Order: sequence, then C-alpha cells, then structure tokens
Amino acid sequence: MLTNLNDLVRIREYGERGYLLEQLSDEARIAIERATTLQPPEAFAECVLGAKNVLLLFHRSVTPILVENWLRSLTAEWQGEQQEQLCIEVPVVYDGTDLEEVSARTGLSVDRVIELHTAPLYRVRMIGFTPGFPYLDGLDQRLHLDRKSAPLSRIEPGTVAIGGSHAGIYSVASPGGWYRLGRTELSLFQPEQACSSVTPFRSIFSFAAGDSVKFIAL
Amino acid sequence: MATIEILATGMGLSIQDQGRSGWRRYGVPPGGAMDRYAAQTANRLLGNSKDAPVLEILMQGAQLRVLEDTWVALTGADLGSSIRSWTACRVQAGTILTFPVNRSGLWAYLAVLGGIESEHWFGSASVDSRNGLGRRLECGDYLFAVASGTEIPYSGIGRRVLRSDLQPEMANANEFELLPGPQFEQFTEAVRAELVGSQWTVAAQSDRTGYRLSGPVLEVPDSILSEPVLPGSLQIPGNGQPIITMIDGPTVGGYAKIAILQEADLDHMAQCRPGTELKFRWKI
Repeated sequence: MLTNLNDLVRIREYGERGYLLEQLSDEARIAIERATTLQPPEAFAECVLGAKNVLLLFHRSVTPILVENWLRSLTAEWQGEQQEQLCIEVPVVYDGTDLEEVSARTGLSVDRVIELHTAPLYRVRMIGFTPGFPYLDGLDQRLHLDRKSAPLSRIEPGTVAIGGSHAGIYSVASPGGWYRLGRTELSLFQPEQACSSVTPFRSIFSFAAGDSVKFIAL
Repeated sequence: MATIEILATGMGLSIQDQGRSGWRRYGVPPGGAMDRYAAQTANRLLGNSKDAPVLEILMQGAQLRVLEDTWVALTGADLGSSIRSWTACRVQAGTILTFPVNRSGLWAYLAVLGGIESEHWFGSASVDSRNGLGRRLECGDYLFAVASGTEIPYSGIGRRVLRSDLQPEMANANEFELLPGPQFEQFTEAVRAELVGSQWTVAAQSDRTGYRLSGPVLEVPDSILSEPVLPGSLQIPGNGQPIITMIDGPTVGGYAKIAILQEADLDHMAQCRPGTELKFRWKI
C-alpha cells in the first residue's frame, strides 16, 4: 500500500516547524496518522488530518530530509497494522429544524431525505473543527448542498447535520453553517474524562479517523 | 487557605498555562496563554516552573482581593494596576488589586507562588470554555496558590523587576514578517503585494480563536477542502478580510491561507487590541 509512498507524496512547509504531506490516497492518509503514534519521527509533536493531506508538527524546526527518511522507514512491520475496523452506531431522532429546507432544496420528501441519510455506511475522514467533530464520507450525492451562506451562531452538541459532501455531528455548542437533520444522545466529547492521563481516548471521544459510522433512525 | 478572591471579572478572567500538545488530531486546539512569554515571565519572576497556571486578565475592570500575605507577579498588558507590570512584589492580606484602565496591550498575567491550583484537561490547566474545558472565572471564585501557606521567601526584598530590555513594547512597531502559507501560490501576485502594501486594522470581532483584520478586500481563490490550520495563519474567507488564527482556533478549516506569522511574533500579535494598525512584509 505504501511501498512507493515516498515517490508520490509532496512535502510542503507550513510554518516554522510543520510539514503538510500532500497528494495522498485515503488509505495513506489514515496509515500515516497511525504511524505517527506507533513509530513517530524524531522531534514529533502532533499530527492533524486534512481532507486530502496530513500535517506533521514537530517540537522544533526539522529538515524535509528527516520527514522523507521517516516516510521511507515506514515498512512492512507497521503496514500490517490495519486500522481497527470499528463501526459506531449512532441513534438519531430525525426532527431537525432544517429537514424541510433540505427537502425543498433537494426536491426529495422529508422521509426520503432521512432514508438517504441513514442508508450509507459512513467513514470518518478526519476529526476536527471542534474536539471530536467527525467529518463523514459517504453522503448520498442527492444530499450534497452548499453550506449556508450565513452560519448560525449556535448549534447544539449532538446535532446531526450535513454540509457540502460531508455528514457530521456537532460535538460541542458552536457556530455552524450545516443543515440540521436531527439529534443524537450520543456524547461525542467528554472533557471531564480528559482530566486523567491514563484515560483511553475512546472514553473521551466517540470517533477516530478511519472508523465506520451507521445512523439508526429512532 | 485561598490566596485571591475574585471581586469583579472585568472583561474576562481565566486560568491559563502553556497549553496542551498531542490532541489536535482529535480536534483539541493547543490553547494556553495568549501571550506565552508574558505568562512564562510572570512565573519566572516568582521562581515557578514556566508553565505553572496563571491568571489571564483581559483588558480593564477586574478586581481581586488578596487574602494572605504573599508574593504575586504581574506581566503583559498595562492595565493601570497599582502594582507595576513585569514585576514581582509582596502583597498583604486585604490588598485590593485593581486593573482600571487598558493603557496598552490586551492580556495581563498574574502569577502566584507555585502557580494556581487547577484542574487539568489533556495535561494542561488552560481553560477553553468554548470547547468545554473548564469555565471562565466568576465573581466570588477563589484562587488557591499551590505554595500557599509556605513561609514567604525573600521577605526583606521589596520587589523584583524584569530587566527593562526584556519587557516587550506593546504598542509600537506593529509590523510583522510573514512566511508563505500553504495556499500562497493560489493567490495572485497582485493580492500578495496588496497584503504587504496595505494598512490593516484589528477588528472588534476578535477573540481567543482568531483576530479579524479590516482593510482592502482581497481577491479570494476558489475554496479549498478542509485541512489543518496552525495558529498564526492568515486565512482569507469569502469576504476578503483576513482572519489570523489564534491558539484556541479550530484545528482544521476550509479557508485559503495566504501566509503564516512567525511563531515568536504570536505573543506580540495577541497583544494588538481592536483598532491597532498593522503592516506586513514578506520574509525573504
């Protein structure tokens, strides 16, 4: 999968101690994120996934050669480490304020919108925007809508929404421009669990990049 | 025994340290003191570890009652306090510390002996109330110094002052050097020149997540897919007015980033209050 990664990836400087790895396949993107936890490069500080790229942030300024060498060192020993294939089921009450508007904009009935939203097995492309917010791939093309031109100042946590080609769930109260289809009781981010350094991340966050997600209509 | 009682919060009080590392992959921003140098220095003036939790004071209006004879250190913005900035000094039980007027800068830092006792989230005491990590302080809250009740060190010394050449200027020389951002090439040469050739003003709609600038409307390239964002980035949203991402800002975003500030300049940027005029130049 990543044998020839080094020939394909483009490395771009970002700030004084960051590099963006670009032109990556979806599998490579997730695999690189995994690799930073299993076999991090020297002086490694943080990794952030983008929709098409990956940021490696270091504790100090490092040369691109170090990044290249690290990518080259990612060999079979960890390539075998597949992302655990977790599927997270998310119960949803479809009573969102924007259901009618989505119905009007797509020309589909409300029931059909809900049907199309629950049908796919989604995949978490990345976590970001706010703590634990999952960007989900797999949204039916008929539900792709431009984000609202005027974002709302407050969307409640647990709001199940769609924006552009993604589905998502708001993880904390925040402003947002996505269309609200429903809500879930599932807690996406439990900051009180983050007080202990031994808490596994799955007790703090419901989702990680690479997880599968299935919405269940209640 | 508590060390400080909050009598008035003014424009906003929160506990901050040097922030957290390693959690951006889950969408948790680094956070921490907006002016990291000032927060570190407040700690150094007391001999605390540099990342001990301190009180971050936004602009004027806060009032604090000191509840025990102790030492405190104050750094950062000049808020007209009765104790001098960039100084550690002894204070007596009953003293009321006031911050009546915002003379320069935005954020001041008050350190207590050993740091402020606080909860930690992801290894940091930095409050990020938007993201559910603690809350801002309220009137009637008490702060507890970690080293409260210990014998006051150096009781014969009046105060300790940071060498004046190490005290940053808050108001002057608001010209920042820029490094190209990830989408630098997607902006036309004319826009890149306009960014450095124009005068920019820090807008009122600025907070710990980002500072908005107003000035000429920049031509924006096509929107990009959401990707990682680092603090200090100059994002150009649809209205053509730059937003500088600050340390509580989102970890990913979909606006093109024309430039990024040098990390060492972030503290100075944080202290530029609304109305401050800024200029930029490209670092060659």
